[in-house]
Amino acid sequence: MKSRFFPMAFFLVCAAPFCTTAQQPGNFFQQNCSACHTIGGGRRVGPDLKDVTKRKDRAWLEEFMEDPPAVLHKRDPYALQLQREANGIAMPAVPGLTPALAEALLNYIDAQGGAAPPPAAAPSVAERLFTSEDLAAGTELFQGTRPLSQGGPACISCHTLGTMTGLAGGRLGPDLTLVYQRLGGRQGAGAWLTAPPTPVMQSVFHQHTLQPDEILSLLSLFEDASQRSHPAAATAEIPIFLSGGVLGAALGLVLMGWIWRSRIGSVRRTVLKAAQRGAA
Amino acid sequence: MTTPFTNSLLFIVFPYLAMFIFFLGTIWRYRQSPFTYSSLSSQFLENKRHFWGLVPFHYGILTVLTAHIVAFLLPRQILRWDSQPFRLHALEVTGLAFALLALVGLLGAMLRRLTNSKVREVTTTLDWMVLLLLLVQVTTGLCVAIFHPWGSAWFAAGLTPYLWSLVRFNPELAFVAAAPVLVKLHIVMAYVLIGVTPFTRLVHILVTPNPYLWRRPQVVRWYRSPREIA
Repeated sequence: MKSRFFPMAFFLVCAAPFCTTAQQPGNFFQQNCSACHTIGGGRRVGPDLKDVTKRKDRAWLEEFMEDPPAVLHKRDPYALQLQREANGIAMPAVPGLTPALAEALLNYIDAQGGAAPPPAAAPSVAERLFTSEDLAAGTELFQGTRPLSQGGPACISCHTLGTMTGLAGGRLGPDLTLVYQRLGGRQGAGAWLTAPPTPVMQSVFHQHTLQPDEILSLLSLFEDASQRSHPAAATAEIPIFLSGGVLGAALGLVLMGWIWRSRIGSVRRTVLKAAQRGAA
Repeated sequence: MTTPFTNSLLFIVFPYLAMFIFFLGTIWRYRQSPFTYSSLSSQFLENKRHFWGLVPFHYGILTVLTAHIVAFLLPRQILRWDSQPFRLHALEVTGLAFALLALVGLLGAMLRRLTNSKVREVTTTLDWMVLLLLLVQVTTGLCVAIFHPWGSAWFAAGLTPYLWSLVRFNPELAFVAAAPVLVKLHIVMAYVLIGVTPFTRLVHILVTPNPYLWRRPQVVRWYRSPREIA
């Protein structure tokens, strides 16, 4: 009995994470889709989804919703057209979107199609003009010198801007120099930041949502970057970074040689000399 | 490496499997042959290249490994440190320097085992496997640092929650599933190294207290063939 316990427990431990819980389509739409889509509220980054099931058959829609990159990879003409209309932005795979949930979402969209105002509309960003204070605050938030109020990591961790100099920002995520244009300006980019739809941004910010004043400051920075700069080459900072690392490593080797300068150089020679001294 | 099934296999099943093997394997080896908890020194056979291989490697890899553990245990403190671009860049350059030290030392150790006939004689297939695994791991780590900066910040922000989700038996794969291939490869190789630890010379990591780093130089002599011991 004891010997069977471990394999069974191990199986349960490994299998447990694959289990998922059911989720309401309305909540799911609000959390995962509303940054890029409305239902009857007009186009954002992605198309308005009102009457989407009349424009395309359900089987195609469900397949696309479950794994957009896979459909794009097949060079599906309609998926490519959607990507073109979204300024080249591909719809990301949405974590937890099961076939059953995809069907429920389409039912939800159909049911909401005639309603006005759409219940899943994302909050809009303030309309006032950006000020120099917004730009300064956006720069500080991006670089991390001003912490995000909900504890999220600074943008510089993963992103860079063409306006940055020196070692600049991170390269795990995309260069954000032209993000303001690509996401459709203030409202599109603002909606995106309010409820980031990509899996990575969701996983990092779902417990650290950006506040409206922070979004406005960041939008000011992104607008400024898109107007007066262009994305830097992905490898622009590598020579500086690598030079620093090589210099540090060389210094380390010199230091090691100096610290252990009186070490035993050759064990066998030392033993042999000791033996010869003993014999003499 | 991008399908949900593959991601679940590599980043949920595989880490649990590696830890399971690590714990059971190390206990089994300690009970079966406690005196093999060693890296089986070859210092007596050749000491000059040994120094320039093993010392830079160990100081490099231990510093980098400690940085990973600190980012896992104290992510907020790391993010706070990184909140000034100068400090972030200084930390990253320092990390890169130690990773390069590890690479230089590792290549030195491999060259020594290849070129010195006496050392080659006592080198087992498992030793080569460990060296090659470490070479892949250190190289991918360097590539991640160079091509996907700034790791200290995004590790603390994205990978630490993933690792803690594994500890809590409630895996959250979103961040790691969307990570670049190099990052994924580095993570998977870490699990491989954990899994093979009980069966290789890597087991000497567990010998505590571990005075390798500060003890005076000492000569090790064997009274048995290393092949018998391994």
